[in-house]
Amino acid sequence: MSNRTLPRLLQSPAVVLLLIWMLVPLSMTLYFSFIRYVLNNLRKPEWMTPALSNWRGFGNYEFVLKSKDFIFAIQNSLLIVCSILFLTVILGVLIAVLINKSFPGQGIVRVLLISPFFVMPAVNAVLWINMILDPVLGLQGIAVGSINDLVDGLRAAPGVGWFFSLWPELTPISFRATQTSAYAVIIMVTWQWTPFAILIFMTSLQSEDQQQKEAAILDGASTWSQFRFLTLPHLGRPIAIVVMIQAIFHLSLYAEIEIVSRGNGNKNLPYLIGEFANNNIGAASATGIFAVILANIVAIFLLRIVGKTLME
Amino acid sequence: MAIVAQSSKYGQFSRTLLAWIVGLLFFFPIFWLVLTSFKTDADAVKPEFLFFFTPTLENYTNMTDNYDYWRFATNSVITSVFATIFALAVGIPCAYSMAFNPTRATKDVLMWMLSTKMLPAAAVLYPMTFLTKSLGLFDTHFMVILVLCLINLPIVIWMLFTYFKEIPKEIIEAGQMDGVNTWGEIKEILIPLAWGGIASTALLCFIFCWNEAYWTVRLTTTDAATLSKLIEGNRAPEGLFFGRLSAVSAAAVGPIIVLGWFCQKQLVQGLSFGAVK
Repeated sequence: MSNRTLPRLLQSPAVVLLLIWMLVPLSMTLYFSFIRYVLNNLRKPEWMTPALSNWRGFGNYEFVLKSKDFIFAIQNSLLIVCSILFLTVILGVLIAVLINKSFPGQGIVRVLLISPFFVMPAVNAVLWINMILDPVLGLQGIAVGSINDLVDGLRAAPGVGWFFSLWPELTPISFRATQTSAYAVIIMVTWQWTPFAILIFMTSLQSEDQQQKEAAILDGASTWSQFRFLTLPHLGRPIAIVVMIQAIFHLSLYAEIEIVSRGNGNKNLPYLIGEFANNNIGAASATGIFAVILANIVAIFLLRIVGKTLME
Repeated sequence: MAIVAQSSKYGQFSRTLLAWIVGLLFFFPIFWLVLTSFKTDADAVKPEFLFFFTPTLENYTNMTDNYDYWRFATNSVITSVFATIFALAVGIPCAYSMAFNPTRATKDVLMWMLSTKMLPAAAVLYPMTFLTKSLGLFDTHFMVILVLCLINLPIVIWMLFTYFKEIPKEIIEAGQMDGVNTWGEIKEILIPLAWGGIASTALLCFIFCWNEAYWTVRLTTTDAATLSKLIEGNRAPEGLFFGRLSAVSAAAVGPIIVLGWFCQKQLVQGLSFGAVK
């Protein structure tokens, strides 16, 4: 066996498996997106089996583009992804800088901070929406309730009572409505993924040029300008990576939406695909192709960065 | 100078305090989950028992009756363990040949493998359901294992590749001189040398399998359903079962969080695809 064949042979199981995994379902999606294909239609039973004779061209794409749900799902996907990115990057940078220098108990704080990342998405959603954010029984409801009780008590107090009677009664927010459930998803995913951002930024901060920093301190640079002109530029690439990796993960966010928002109208692209897939496979597939395009836009940039570091 | 020293001492103290507060805040929801799991269902929703209550283990002892926890947990263990083993079995030879016999195509193959990880799962939802159902593999352990293995394979190969690259080529070549065959090279030289890297790759892969929540929910109903499916199925207890739901959730995430503590560094490498060092 020549020097070349064996390596290829060793790679082939992985390559073949991934090739099948990628090509077969995706080409089926592509095919279904161009035909009329529904699971239940009594008047047109011929649409219930996938066949080329049901060719619809770009009809499914048109149908999807014109549906209100699609526009809403795209907007909502972007709202959720962008908010999470914004919050995790800001929090991640601040916390990474905060805990980077050693302090008593640094190891324990690191462990506390990283823990949320390992919580499975289903538990994350169930925990936040029920035990924490529920407007009556969750911590939110209990907290709002006790603040109201406290203010109520103070209203009757002599002297300061008039001041507290100006205060409005607080009402807890229900996070199960269409719009607020998107906020709930943003909160819980930010909680889960900020640790990831912190970890990446901390790893990168450890390779920061210390001599440069010492020189800056000797030159009398303030903490802020050290952060602004040394640390932040150093974090540029890790921030780009965190943004892109998270964008790819969160564009296909599913479990959280499913658990928090089932049936209340809040949806993102994967959720909409799931809804379409209950009957209209053609539309589900066309939406799927849109999702692939959206993810690819991000993936191209990410792969370019990763590719540069690959062979170093 | 004295002022500087004093202010930095003060700064050190407030920084430590702030860091601890942030750490505890982030951990608080997990703490709350565990705390609630020791309350009875009735106590769990009463404000007067917020922090002070009579702890009980009944939620844990009744986990089998309430949720059939062990069946789902067994499925999670079986699928995650076998998916990890298969991913390593396919990934180690692949990463080995990429690291020690790189061709001009190696880089592109690696990038292409990563790109498969970036396809949104939902895009192929129906074809996957269709295929598994028509092959009779719906709700089987085999299918879940296969899917978990495939979605993590790119990351596994990627991580193994970065570990193997660190091993000096000469050691492997010395083995070749001694007439060891490829299988022997992998078994006798590579695996013992890269043992740490392989172990942490396996750990990370296991964690990702355990937490996967799209295909495990979509491709199972009962027989092969994992803990993700169990929790997802009990999403809205309406306050009635906060205690027992917390217990089953804590039991589902507890072991994984502890495992996770041991592979923080590998997590960075695995999830950033080696682009952050």
